[in-house]
Amino acid sequence: MRILLVEDDVDAAGYLVKGLTESGHVIEHAEDGERGLQLAIANAYDSMIIDRMLPKRDGLSLIEELRRMGNMTPVLILSALDDVDERVTGLKAGGDDYLTKPYQLSELTARLQALTRRAQTGVQGTVLHVGDLTLDLIRHKVTRAGQSINLQPREFRLLEYLMQHTGQVVTRSMLLENVWDYHFDPQTNVIDVQISRLRGKIDKDFNSPLLHTVRGAGYKLQEAASTVETG
Amino acid sequence: MSTVGGDVTRQAHGRRLFRTSAFRLSLIYATLFSALSAATLGFIYWSTRDQIESQVDARLRLETDYLINLFKSGAMPELLEAIQRRNQIDTYGRFYYLDNSESAVAEQTGEALPIRLKSIRSHTTRNMGDVADLPPGSPRAFNPVRVAETQLSNGLKLTIGHEISDEKALLDHTFALVAGATLLTLLFSLIGGLSIGTSVLRRIDSVSRTASEIMSGDLSQRLKVTERDDEFDEIAAKLNQMLGRIEDLIRSMRQVTNNVAHDLRSPLTRLRNRLEVTLLEERDPQNYRAVLGEAIEDADSLIHTFNAMLSIARLEAGLDAIQWEPASIGELANELAELYGAVAEEDGLHFEADIAADPRYLCNRHLIAQALTNLLDNAIKYTCPQGRVTLSVTGDDDAFRIVVGDNGPGIPEHERERVFQRFVRLENERNSPGNGLGLSLVQAVARLHGATVQLDDNEPGLRVTMRFVRKR
Repeated sequence: MRILLVEDDVDAAGYLVKGLTESGHVIEHAEDGERGLQLAIANAYDSMIIDRMLPKRDGLSLIEELRRMGNMTPVLILSALDDVDERVTGLKAGGDDYLTKPYQLSELTARLQALTRRAQTGVQGTVLHVGDLTLDLIRHKVTRAGQSINLQPREFRLLEYLMQHTGQVVTRSMLLENVWDYHFDPQTNVIDVQISRLRGKIDKDFNSPLLHTVRGAGYKLQEAASTVETG
Repeated sequence: MSTVGGDVTRQAHGRRLFRTSAFRLSLIYATLFSALSAATLGFIYWSTRDQIESQVDARLRLETDYLINLFKSGAMPELLEAIQRRNQIDTYGRFYYLDNSESAVAEQTGEALPIRLKSIRSHTTRNMGDVADLPPGSPRAFNPVRVAETQLSNGLKLTIGHEISDEKALLDHTFALVAGATLLTLLFSLIGGLSIGTSVLRRIDSVSRTASEIMSGDLSQRLKVTERDDEFDEIAAKLNQMLGRIEDLIRSMRQVTNNVAHDLRSPLTRLRNRLEVTLLEERDPQNYRAVLGEAIEDADSLIHTFNAMLSIARLEAGLDAIQWEPASIGELANELAELYGAVAEEDGLHFEADIAADPRYLCNRHLIAQALTNLLDNAIKYTCPQGRVTLSVTGDDDAFRIVVGDNGPGIPEHERERVFQRFVRLENERNSPGNGLGLSLVQAVARLHGATVQLDDNEPGLRVTMRFVRKR
């Protein structure tokens, strides 16, 4: 993936460039808003990571400018301002996701992946498939290998989100944000419990598990494959 | 030197006294009242004078008319005799005389002869020989008089004088009274103003002394509140409340700084030691991975602590950045009950939700959710297996309460205030995970919403009640 990083903090940028390069991405780095805008106009990127506060041109204004010019590259906003309202402002300006500093690299990569994936697939179909698992968005039905599975409304949304991000790591805070609309981290394992319940319904009675735990990061819904690290 | 210094201070004090609003106000009132009383008394003075004058004048006219009638009847000797007799009897301080007028002989114009009345400060008699006159050298001739002069047709002038020294004295006395009363009013208002000003200054000085002491660092100082319960006491009490709040804030800030230093040092030390020990000898990659994984967990918990601290600080900083919207509390509670019910069940606990009400409340839903999450996290964390955790919502839109209860170890009564402070962790939970910020955040959220948080004995366990009232 080719990624543009606009971040004025050299240390943070260096760490991000290193981390993302190691996971196989190509990173270009701009240290201020104006330079970022030039690069974004000149090149085509798969996604952009833009810091909220930047010299020369503020991160939000940079995003707004890009959107006005018709550039729809997915943008992840980085900010030291952790506030629900700040988040809303950032998303209104045209950002696609919002991550508060300090963050974990795994959280950032997971979100970045979710963004690009969303941009690539565009409109989802009304029936989602992962292996023999099927979720019908219209009829609110879930089946696995032809057997109907009865899910609570919240479990349904949880599975829907996981299936929309098949093959990607989905972090606990992504689930809390997108399924429950909570923008904070509870200290107890609320998400783990919900996942284990869901797992009990979709995986327990079947041979190959679909819902995997990715250690130190989150969860991944995927057809059993040798590359999956289960834990 | 000290006396000079003292004088200077006294002068400065005097200048301040004259600048006080109490003094200025009393000065204004003094002037107004003096002017008013002077006007009233002045009116009395002038009308008394008029009254006296017209009485004297009437008497003079009467006498003049009588003598002129004698003159008109042509009986000059009788006229002269009448004048002499009157002068000798000398009643009522009156005197009479005829003299040669310097002016031309007035024409005989019918019956009436004009009488001219005037007041004379002092009257000197003149000896006119054949005309009737005062006894020369009569001392009273030098007193202030009121005279009636009439020009007779034969070139003589009839003058009747009426001594007015008594009346004059009365009037002078009245005038002195008026002036004195006015001056007294002024003087008393001045003294009153000064004394009010002084007492105001004294109380202001006590306030400013306390303020200086507070500024020099003694935050425990409070303004003196007297028994009088007047407006000064009212404002002093309010300021004391404010000072109390400021002291609380500063104390908690100091404590937070201390606690931050203390509480972050141990996990950082642990992290450092872990890494150091790992580096002591060669290990296989898997071992390194494991240690790094643990190091990341340590760092995560530090980040979590920092985030919580930042959230609390932001909440305490104020309202401006918070978005308010009506939210359904019952719905929120049900969501949380679903989430935590599952967690409780997993931990072998009984979870009971009693969402009896669904108030609509103007709030920040995320913050309320976070506060309740903290309470539920705690309840589950401190309750042993087979224990019971409850969540209930009761009330209506105007006032409702959310109660989270458990039957864990609870919090001893004397600790219930303290646990709201940041980083405070009770002895028996030192070894369990947590950063001592949970309840601080709950309280910050409650404060922001104008709600209260109360900790009670759940017999056994802890019961946390959040009371909300509808915002006006």
